[in-house]
Amino acid sequence: MEFTEFARRVERVEELKGDHEKTAEVADLLSAAEDDVDVVARFVQGRVFPGWSQHKLDVGPALLYEAISLASGASEQEIEEVVRETGDPGDAAAKLEFGSQQTLGGGADTVDEVYRAFERLADESGEGSQRAKVRVVADLLMDADDASARYVARLVLGEMRVGVGEGTVRDAVAEAYDVDVEAVERALMLTNDCGRVAETARVEGEKGLRALDIEVGRPVKPMLAQQADVEDLFDDLGDEAAVEWKYDGARVQVHVDGTGEVSLYSRRMEELTESLPDVVEQIESEVEDDVVLDGEVVATEDGEPMPFQELLRRLRRKYDVRETQEEVSVEVQLFDVLYRGEALLDETLEHRRRVLEEAGGDLISPSWRESSMDGVRRVERESLDAGHEGIMAKSLDSTYSPGRRGRNWLKLKPEPETLDVAVVGGEWGEGRRTDLIGSYHLAVRGDGDLLKVGNVATGFTDEDLDRLTETFEDLVVQGDGMEVEFEPKVVFEVGYEEIQTSPEYDSGFALRFPRFLGVRRDKDVKDVDSLGKLERLYR
Amino acid sequence: MFQAKINAGLLQSSIDAVGVFVDECKVRVDSEGLSVKAVDPANVGMVELDVPADSFDSFEADDELLGLNLTKFDDIIGMAKAGDVVALELDPETGKLKIQIDGLRYTLSLIDPESIHQEPNVPDLDLPGEVVLAGAEINRGIKASGMVSDHMAFGVEDKSFYMSAEGDQDDVRVDLTEDEVISLTAEEDARSLFSLDYLESMSKAIPSDAQVTLYVGSDFPVRMEFELQGGDADVSYLLAPRIENE
Repeated sequence: MEFTEFARRVERVEELKGDHEKTAEVADLLSAAEDDVDVVARFVQGRVFPGWSQHKLDVGPALLYEAISLASGASEQEIEEVVRETGDPGDAAAKLEFGSQQTLGGGADTVDEVYRAFERLADESGEGSQRAKVRVVADLLMDADDASARYVARLVLGEMRVGVGEGTVRDAVAEAYDVDVEAVERALMLTNDCGRVAETARVEGEKGLRALDIEVGRPVKPMLAQQADVEDLFDDLGDEAAVEWKYDGARVQVHVDGTGEVSLYSRRMEELTESLPDVVEQIESEVEDDVVLDGEVVATEDGEPMPFQELLRRLRRKYDVRETQEEVSVEVQLFDVLYRGEALLDETLEHRRRVLEEAGGDLISPSWRESSMDGVRRVERESLDAGHEGIMAKSLDSTYSPGRRGRNWLKLKPEPETLDVAVVGGEWGEGRRTDLIGSYHLAVRGDGDLLKVGNVATGFTDEDLDRLTETFEDLVVQGDGMEVEFEPKVVFEVGYEEIQTSPEYDSGFALRFPRFLGVRRDKDVKDVDSLGKLERLYR
Repeated sequence: MFQAKINAGLLQSSIDAVGVFVDECKVRVDSEGLSVKAVDPANVGMVELDVPADSFDSFEADDELLGLNLTKFDDIIGMAKAGDVVALELDPETGKLKIQIDGLRYTLSLIDPESIHQEPNVPDLDLPGEVVLAGAEINRGIKASGMVSDHMAFGVEDKSFYMSAEGDQDDVRVDLTEDEVISLTAEEDARSLFSLDYLESMSKAIPSDAQVTLYVGSDFPVRMEFELQGGDADVSYLLAPRIENE
């Protein structure tokens, strides 16, 4: 499919209001894409690579503007001006004139060629890669018409802004190839690859979809737990529940292939193998080959658990891993198994736990079957005494649903909640902090957009501010004097005294005394807390 | 099979000439010598490099295509002192390039040539203006233009060659008459505009004392040809123009 045709069709999708109309238009787009459907199914959601892939474009607004400048001849100031006017880098690209800089030939005309250019972009790393990245993006823009420029720019930043998410693509695949939507849903959950799912539906139909399964080496989203009160536990889970310790760590998915090679992935499916060599060693010595396991990595010092922040310090320092390894030791606690020679997702927790006990060696986290509140309280006390966060309670006959937050897994924490919020803007500091972004604008997830809940300016160390300023400088979408707007990419965990109603912010709420607790590198902006949660906590 | 010895200075300036546009490239070797053709990731600038076999201290090669990471290669060759000889050998067993500089041995992994950005086919261009001048003159024109704008023009007009740039506030113009350059032929007047982003990096690879032959047309790519180290290697640059907006 020509990229210009893709852009024209996506423009129509963007203009349509209703969900049904959008889905029908996307279904039409998928059918028209024929054998380019794998790329198109991802592109339409603003995704370049499959969900499990470790490829990343790593392009921020600054680099995009540089590429637009090179391709259009407009200065970077002029470009930022147009971005301010239109409020969106894609719309700005559509408004600018391209075609002044000529090329010697080549270029990308089809969606597949654009995809290949993105692969080159992702492969560029290290010294001099910025220049090469700018030029690859510039090449895509040089001959672009308005709509193509808009969607190239948005793809580069990873957000299509046409109101199409995974759900729309799921429904559109079902509609385009006349397959059962449940089969599509299942295939998406197991492969994390909407392109492959769409292509399979196109070529092999429903039977092909049902044959897709979890594979070692391709992470799936972890199953998530819902916050709950201990009192309601047995209402949700039945007469008996599996009760486990809840760790203040980071979720990890462990893949061991048939040759014993270990890979570790975060809850966002980013590979962590290199950052956690000690965990890899533990897995190698304890765990069977050809399995996929679910667990939590926990930082410890002299056998005592350390807060999550310590662990993040480890995960962040990719380059001096060995050095930090001396300071903070990390261990893994395994609590579930997704695959052992065959997929186990449709088995009950009770069954999976038995398999885990055979496959997981000494690294298995303890679990108790409890049918009384006294028993649950006892486990909770033991967990807190051991320095952990609280407990998890799980339904014994529940299956494993990747990426789902349901009432089959409950998390029970006694402490007041912290919030995970998106950082959408900031302010340059004054006095000693003029070179630093000292205050950050926070937002929660509303119905499709991000709604502000206040600013955080306390809780940072000087080192935090240096590092954060460096991170956010690359994410500036536009800056007007002291205030800057960021592309929402980073998630902060913040604490607060209480939640108040407030006309000042568009969420209608404000946090009283917010303080910065850390960056949730394991979380995506899609995962930040919702307005609904704020409302619940307010009550 | 590929086995050669070459003066470090010549190798270094050859890499620099290609590095202007790309960080990795395909190097072709055959009985004639070594050659590279590479286009920058935006398809705006292209370089062709030719190092004939007799410019090497020794040279033996069957047809081979090597995928080279230039950034790494440049770092390694940077270890050589002036006057050193660099020995290159393709290991047929491992497919790696063995590099030896005065007792230093480095084994460099090559990259799959298929994975390297493919250069487009550029049609033969009929460029009416041809001027031969010292590299220093061109570099001076580029440097001055860079002070006022992000693009500049090359042109021929009334038997003279000019370089000019118009900024928001300031303008720059260098005029060189037929007598002030080494030679000038122009069938008709011509003028094209180019990105200084590219020209400034090309300028770093153009030796001041080289004779540069520059071909210019109207809204056409510019071609610049020159020799490295007094004729031991030939470099040719082709740069796509910018079209002036009305």
